[in-house]
Amino acid sequence: MILTGNEIANQIRSGGIVCEPFEHEHVNPNSLDLTLGNRLLRYTREPLDPRAEAEVEELEIPRSGVTLPGLTFRLGCSHEIIGSNHFVPIVHGKSSTARAGLFVHVTADLIDIGSVGRITFQLFATMPITVYPGMRIGQVTFWKPHGAIDLYGGKYKGSTGPMKSLSFRDKFWGTL
Amino acid sequence: MILTGSEIAACVRRGEITIEPFNHDMLNPNSYNYRLGEQLYRVETSADGDRARRIPCPLVEGRWLLAKQQLYLGHTLEVIGSTHYVTSLIGRSSMGRLGIFVQVSANIGHVGAIHRWTLEIVTAHDTYLYPQQRIGQISFWTVAGAQRQYSGWYGRHNEPMLSKGHVEMQLQAGGERQQPQEPPEPLAREARRGRQ
Repeated sequence: MILTGNEIANQIRSGGIVCEPFEHEHVNPNSLDLTLGNRLLRYTREPLDPRAEAEVEELEIPRSGVTLPGLTFRLGCSHEIIGSNHFVPIVHGKSSTARAGLFVHVTADLIDIGSVGRITFQLFATMPITVYPGMRIGQVTFWKPHGAIDLYGGKYKGSTGPMKSLSFRDKFWGTL
Repeated sequence: MILTGSEIAACVRRGEITIEPFNHDMLNPNSYNYRLGEQLYRVETSADGDRARRIPCPLVEGRWLLAKQQLYLGHTLEVIGSTHYVTSLIGRSSMGRLGIFVQVSANIGHVGAIHRWTLEIVTAHDTYLYPQQRIGQISFWTVAGAQRQYSGWYGRHNEPMLSKGHVEMQLQAGGERQQPQEPPEPLAREARRGRQ
């Protein structure tokens, strides 16, 4: 089951969901808006290799915004620190950014229960778009889990900004 | 409701969810990591978009190099599905952060479809991928209402399948026919007939 906006606000007040800072006007009927933090990461060298640490360049988004060229990829983050030990968050775009052709994730929308931090947006622009710090770029829904809960303890725990892929740290590469 | 990792494991034990082979290390708090299968195809379409073919991608030094902004079809190494829960096939954040799409907005698996799932892979950068690497996650959702099991064409196949909307193009002379036997009535042809 998906939580209503009213229940999301109740859970934030009672501590069942973390959202820092919390603005009541970001509550929608079944979701909570996320705003864009002021940092972006860009991969500087191709081809990318999930077994190797990728080089990134960090950019600050000025108040006047930054234009993402068409068909480019950047990592951004939510300004809000978000998460829950009781509900499963799922990230979505805002219809306004989607109508401008901007993906906020590339099929990895599920946040692990117990992961609390700034959400990394996987920004893929299908056409040029200017993004601004603080713009409402995405939204998050919260879903009731079924079964015993094991909390997330993975490598992106407690993110404070956009985090590049850490897949090169995965232990399974040695077994392939 | 979405199943937690421990509930996914319990359902596998009870036979309500199939994940073959199943490995406890692949469980996440609310999903299971699946691996990339051994077959990868580049999809090439005709200029009018009606016809397509699959071109096998060769492994070079144990990996594939995918060109950005190009559609590839791969598959899950695991046979996955459930007669009780709805499967949602999604990416892993470690792959999403590299700009790797593993499907193109069709995440829902029908109840009753148990097979190796076709992955629609598009990358934002030129990117290496490895057979058997962990590439995505699946989550399972409880349902409400009377169940009807899926028995469609895609659910009967374990290898990357072209869209039924395409009429399959033959490979150049000497090439083998790529689509398996008994191809369905192509959607495009049906649509044209509908307009007549």
